Amino acid sequence: MKRPGALLLACGSALTLALAACGGASPQQHAAAHAVSQTFTYDTFAPVMVDGWDPATEYSDGIIAMSNMYETLTRYDPATHQVEPLLATSWTSAPNGLSWTFQLRHGVHFHTGRLMTASAAKAAIERTTKLNGGAAYVWGAVKTIAAPGPYTLVFHLKYPSPLDLEASADYSAYIYDTKAAGRGSLTKWLNSPHDAGTGPYTLQTWNKGQEFEVIQKAFPQYWGGWSGSHFNRVVFRVVPQDTTSAQLLRSGQVSFVEQMSPTLWSSLRGAPGVRLVSAASWQNLLGQLNSKTLSLPERQAISYGINYKGIIAALQGAAIPSSGIVPAGLLGHFSTLPNYSYDPARATQLLNRIGYGPGKKPLNLSLTYTQGDTNEQVVATLMKSSLAKLNINLSVQSLAWPTQWGKAKSASAAQHQDIFMEYWWPDYADPYSWFVNLLQSEKQPYFNLSYYSNPGLDKQINKVESLVATNRSAGQQLYHSMQVTILRQAPIAFLYNDNYQYAMSADFAGFQVNQAYPNVVFAYDLKPLGS
Amino acid sequence: MTVYIARRAALAVLVAAGVIILTFVIAHAVPGDPAATWAGPHATAAQIAQARRFLGLNRPLPVQLASYFAGIASGNWGVSIHTHQPVLYDLATAAPASLELVIAALIIAVAVSVPLGLVSARWPGRPADHAIRAGAILGVSMPIFWMALIFQLVFSQRLHLLPVAGEYAPGLLFSNPLARHTGFDVVDALITGNWPMLGSTASHLVLPALVVAAYPAGLIARMVRAQVLDTVGETHVQMARALGIPERAVFGRYLMKLAWNPVAAAIALVFGYSLVNTFLVESIFDWPGLGSYAAASIGTLDTPAILGVTLFIAIVYVIANLIVDIVQAALDPRIRLR
Repeated sequence: MKRPGALLLACGSALTLALAACGGASPQQHAAAHAVSQTFTYDTFAPVMVDGWDPATEYSDGIIAMSNMYETLTRYDPATHQVEPLLATSWTSAPNGLSWTFQLRHGVHFHTGRLMTASAAKAAIERTTKLNGGAAYVWGAVKTIAAPGPYTLVFHLKYPSPLDLEASADYSAYIYDTKAAGRGSLTKWLNSPHDAGTGPYTLQTWNKGQEFEVIQKAFPQYWGGWSGSHFNRVVFRVVPQDTTSAQLLRSGQVSFVEQMSPTLWSSLRGAPGVRLVSAASWQNLLGQLNSKTLSLPERQAISYGINYKGIIAALQGAAIPSSGIVPAGLLGHFSTLPNYSYDPARATQLLNRIGYGPGKKPLNLSLTYTQGDTNEQVVATLMKSSLAKLNINLSVQSLAWPTQWGKAKSASAAQHQDIFMEYWWPDYADPYSWFVNLLQSEKQPYFNLSYYSNPGLDKQINKVESLVATNRSAGQQLYHSMQVTILRQAPIAFLYNDNYQYAMSADFAGFQVNQAYPNVVFAYDLKPLGS
Repeated sequence: MTVYIARRAALAVLVAAGVIILTFVIAHAVPGDPAATWAGPHATAAQIAQARRFLGLNRPLPVQLASYFAGIASGNWGVSIHTHQPVLYDLATAAPASLELVIAALIIAVAVSVPLGLVSARWPGRPADHAIRAGAILGVSMPIFWMALIFQLVFSQRLHLLPVAGEYAPGLLFSNPLARHTGFDVVDALITGNWPMLGSTASHLVLPALVVAAYPAGLIARMVRAQVLDTVGETHVQMARALGIPERAVFGRYLMKLAWNPVAAAIALVFGYSLVNTFLVESIFDWPGLGSYAAASIGTLDTPAILGVTLFIAIVYVIANLIVDIVQAALDPRIRLR
């Protein structure tokens, strides 16, 4: 025997290459494989299910997956700017706005097999309200719910409120089977995980921390039926590197890429089989300024010290300037607010008054942003650079979303970051969500992570929704006045409004950006073209 | 030999202890609240406090460190903050993918670099030698992430020869799911006779393995060349030539024998190095190994997991070096282990 090792190595290499050749795919094979694919693959840079599986309390990126499994009574339609029927087929409200009657769709089954009736829907909304997590405040106006008929649901309200709109919320408005766990704990059962929705897809597997994080399969008894062309499976694939996402999209291995750097996104223009979609969103990037550690002049100086135009230029179309906290297209948006612009002289003046700024004491601050978010990374880098000119040393840390959130919510104030960067979007087509979640006083911080408390503003927030329902223009004016207060007090730096830049395969039709459901792709509405 | 191994093992324990202390202190110095991450986003202050007690984070740092050492001795490497699983279990899940990648890379590196090193030494100064040396320098010096991106661009996007990323084609998740036995995908597909999966896993392995192989291949090719050229003029080689032994056998059998020793040492070193180097490659190729686990652990300030990964790498380094010392002694009668 001569050199058996070398022989083995040679054989091994040959076998590997042969297998690789078998497994590798020619362009034609790629195209054929993709054409018959009935799987829609959503590429996300970070795991989506970070806030549990309970449809009552989930209040984070889980919406991306859950919107295919759960449904609401109504759904906002960006084309008509109105809510359209979903689980409810029609609805009416009393002239005084204090009661709403919804007629529910017949023949809808939960994924547990039970029929969805008015009493089942009532039980779901009552449980969500009782748990009071997530965006349960959307049911805040509801005093009692009645189910006078098997498919008739009546809401009696404490004060007038646009319940048809609120029922379309992307969080905490899902109708689910509260009896799914039998006598056991429903929360535990849901987090096992299971789903108890009525949507077109049901959970097949959840691989926590894995590449193929969530896999959903078609629910055969879906009320909409499966005739025509539909994807029969939805996969949520975690791909941390956007360059890899771009390559996967080009080779037909993912169907939709949620986010990539603007440069990379632009580079895909004209790529065969790839479609680019750009659309203004209702999502904005905010820097919550810690009002416990930062004084008013410090917060104002930071707000003047950010080069907003520079950020928007660097993001090459992925960002548009914001005006106040409410994005364009929503009630409460004003383009004439006293917004901050980059003004280093003004910022220096403010800092000098309190002993900081160029030539004086350095101000050392910490900032966290979400790991893997390339846009936030650009913003953090530019903020560090522009604030450095004001003798503000910004220590930037990228953390996984649950970790940076946990840090901001920590019982120990020493753990809190000075600037907490996060996106916000409305819970339904209304600006209320920004105010009630980010600016209303909280004893235990949840999303008010600037820890801002202003009793006067709290009163206005409590009043605004009923005012909008009864006197829209007065409500609109109140939103204006609240935003002026916020801009003066500067608990939040409004960095920019997102302009969605999605990249997707050209192998399907039917995609529509719906600003009310950020980054959600309603996979059932898509039509695979190759099948 | 036994005394030598025992002494090396004792030294290894000291090295590992040093690594743990250093990592432990650094990890705890980073601001963050692991208890809040553990308890989840809906936790109350009381639940977070309970989590802090459960994780032992309410105790002084030296007590936590002592408890960690005691745990390691009993096979308890702590519980990961972000996965809520024992760290050893997580490592056992993630490490096979990384080891599979590094082993495949080293097989490719040795299979390619040793013959190239011999060719380079056989015809020094010739075009082949220049080309091989330039290739070796390129392999050693090229940033691994850049090479990974270029390979993806060329072999996947332009030539459509190999898949872009991942462990296997997503469609096989449903049509031919892989039954896991060893955690090594290619091996598992082979032993279960899952041929479509075997083809897919092997093809997905090639690109990342080639990228990881570049550095060891360049290093080994240069070492083989230098070692062979060093000994080519020695008397025993001249004797072999005088006896009329064919030149190919002189190089392959007599000269290479002496070159194996430094090559073996280099393999051990690059094994540990590649295991760390693969973290970047894993990220680019979406490879679910230790790199992904380490990145998630760092992002979530998961101290037990960070410590676990560090300790694992340290142990791999130490064991690889020990094995090489023993193999060198077996190969070279001039070496005595004392």
